[in-house]
Amino acid sequence: MTLVMVVDDDQDLAEMLGIVLTSAGIDVDLVSRGDEVLEVFRANPPDLVLLDVMLPGLNGIEVCRLIRAESMVPIVMLSAKGDTLDVVEGLEAGADDYMIKPFKHPSELVARIRTRLRRSSAGLSGRLTLADLAIDLVAHQVTRGGKVIALTRLEFDLLVALAKEPRRVFTRDALLSEVWGYRHSTDTRLVNVHVQRLRAKVEHDPENPEIVVTVRGVGYKAGVTGGA
Amino acid sequence: MTRSIRVARFRNSLAFKVIFSTVLLCLGVVWLTGSALYAQLSEGIRKVKVESSVAETRSAIFNAQYRIILASDSEAKAIKQIVDDIIVNSPSVIGTAINGREVALLRTAPTLKGAIDYQRTSNQMLVTSIPKELRTRVQKDISTQWSETLIQYSDGTQVPALAVGEKITIPKAGSYEMYLLFSLTSQNATLDLLSRSLLFTGLALLLLITLITSLVVRQIVRPVREAARIAEGFTAGDLSQRMQIKGKDEIARLGTAFNEMALSLQNQITRLENLSRVQQRFVSDVSHELRTPLTTLRMASEVIHSSRDQFDPNIARSAELLVAQIDRFERLLEDLLEVSRFDAEVAILESVEFDMVALASRCISDLSLLAKERATRIDLVHPEETVLIHADIRRVERILRNLLTNAIEYSDSKPIKVRIVASEDEVAVGVRDHGVGLEEASAYRVFDRFWRADPSRARVRGGTGLGLSIALEDARLHNGELEAWGRPGQGAHFVLTLPRRAGGEVLSRPIRLQPKDYPSTIRPSTIL
Repeated sequence: MTLVMVVDDDQDLAEMLGIVLTSAGIDVDLVSRGDEVLEVFRANPPDLVLLDVMLPGLNGIEVCRLIRAESMVPIVMLSAKGDTLDVVEGLEAGADDYMIKPFKHPSELVARIRTRLRRSSAGLSGRLTLADLAIDLVAHQVTRGGKVIALTRLEFDLLVALAKEPRRVFTRDALLSEVWGYRHSTDTRLVNVHVQRLRAKVEHDPENPEIVVTVRGVGYKAGVTGGA
Repeated sequence: MTRSIRVARFRNSLAFKVIFSTVLLCLGVVWLTGSALYAQLSEGIRKVKVESSVAETRSAIFNAQYRIILASDSEAKAIKQIVDDIIVNSPSVIGTAINGREVALLRTAPTLKGAIDYQRTSNQMLVTSIPKELRTRVQKDISTQWSETLIQYSDGTQVPALAVGEKITIPKAGSYEMYLLFSLTSQNATLDLLSRSLLFTGLALLLLITLITSLVVRQIVRPVREAARIAEGFTAGDLSQRMQIKGKDEIARLGTAFNEMALSLQNQITRLENLSRVQQRFVSDVSHELRTPLTTLRMASEVIHSSRDQFDPNIARSAELLVAQIDRFERLLEDLLEVSRFDAEVAILESVEFDMVALASRCISDLSLLAKERATRIDLVHPEETVLIHADIRRVERILRNLLTNAIEYSDSKPIKVRIVASEDEVAVGVRDHGVGLEEASAYRVFDRFWRADPSRARVRGGTGLGLSIALEDARLHNGELEAWGRPGQGAHFVLTLPRRAGGEVLSRPIRLQPKDYPSTIRPSTIL
């Protein structure tokens, strides 16, 4: 049984989220204060964290940073603010995805959570190479010269999506649907921020990316693979 | 070119204007007083000269007459001797003495028979030196007469002079006129010196006045210039600058008044900024406070809605209405927030490069379901190559959705045509429907908030009445244009024109607002 930690100070909304997730077959842990999150998180590690931005005690962005410092667990931010700054701040703090209240379709929330929980490489096995990176789909690990590079699950999924089809140019929309499970969205901020974060971890020089290459006016593609 | 610059300088510089007019006025005053002074002085000098000359002439002629009368009994030879003495000895030669004079004894009537001709002039002066007009006056009058003239010598030299004359009688010889000619050379020299001094003094005065005026003007103009500079700074947004105040004169009062105005302006602006910040904060808080319960409401309604099959028809329908109205409420909230963001001028562009054709195609396919419900279809006409544009894709998508939804709602089940045309600097999207259309005069009002073409007509289901208004603001945020055309029964045409690069300008219109398929040749007179 999967466990989702719901952090929201609004009791009614938290309860409602609990009802929706439970009826979708997901266990729920409710936390209402930002400064209590880490304690509960350590005591009972969840498979995913659903995190509100405005929290008493400690705000969501800070909580997100603290969780990210010790775990690669998927984090989905919940925000009542649609303004770019908040969204980007949340993503830069380490969130994989965000949802703006009110959600367009509650079923979409469940779908997004399932996408984040599913291992995108589940159907695949073996290894992929991208430039000088070795991607182990089974161990869920990326190594460069035998050295492990720590990636969040989302960053791993993003890298695998690009590496699986090295010749394909992915539009931002295509990445949104394949990696995040969005049906239709033009929210390119999400893609941009994560590409930046992925580059910061895997590129030799993030200013001149060679692994995740920008295709002007279209999107991104995998860089030239050395041996393949 | 230089002339126009000079004129512009004259028009633009207060100091230059003041100095120029002051100098011009002073020139007039100096000229007037100078010439009046000169006239008075020269008149005085002349008068003195004339008076002394007349007195001298009188005494000389009286003396000569006396000597001639005393000798009247002597021989003609003795008289001739006296006359010669008078003529030769009395003058001092002009040119050697400053106050030199010449003497002339001229015969009035023809010589009596046998008498000696005493007509003589001193120093070979020509008789023509004495004007005829003077001689006539002397001959008619017994008193002393005078006139200005030029002494002419036989060698051709000329000297300005004053001629004074009187009748004189020589016994046994008839009537003669005796003239004394006084050189005016020294008087003229004095007058020349005088005029030169006056001219020099005038010029010096003018120069001094120019200097003083420019000093004074600078004193006045400098604070004015400073005030202008600070006012310009205010316009540019620098509210911190103030004028420096020295003393307690009018300029200082101007400075104080200016600074008070600046302070009051700064306070007002700060107050307004605070108000706007408070307003923005309020909107943001309201949004947050409303959204959380709305989220719960929405999820709850969705849960109820998903099991509506188990309810009786009335409750099932109620669940559907609940979901639909929560949807609508949410859209209204979104639109209101967006409008308040535009009003608070906090809306910002997040420009990326994208293909307008791809975006339009996606919007059309997203709305195809709605189009099908309204029994219409949307055709897209576009160039073969991609139409790249640098703009805020979220806003452009919202504009397109608003225009398309609007067209579908009013299409009257007739097909809708979307056209994309790109030029070097602009990308235009035209949305043409052939539905109910709108009044020509309403073309501007469609962008008004909550505007309805026909108040009795029900609002389009689910519409907020803010869509087109937001679309217009979105277009303007890009420096773009959104315009509407319509005729009753002829449908409507909305044209969005955006600069190709963010921050660019719309210089031309790739799509004309008046649709091509509208028969513009129809004139009222042809309708019978």
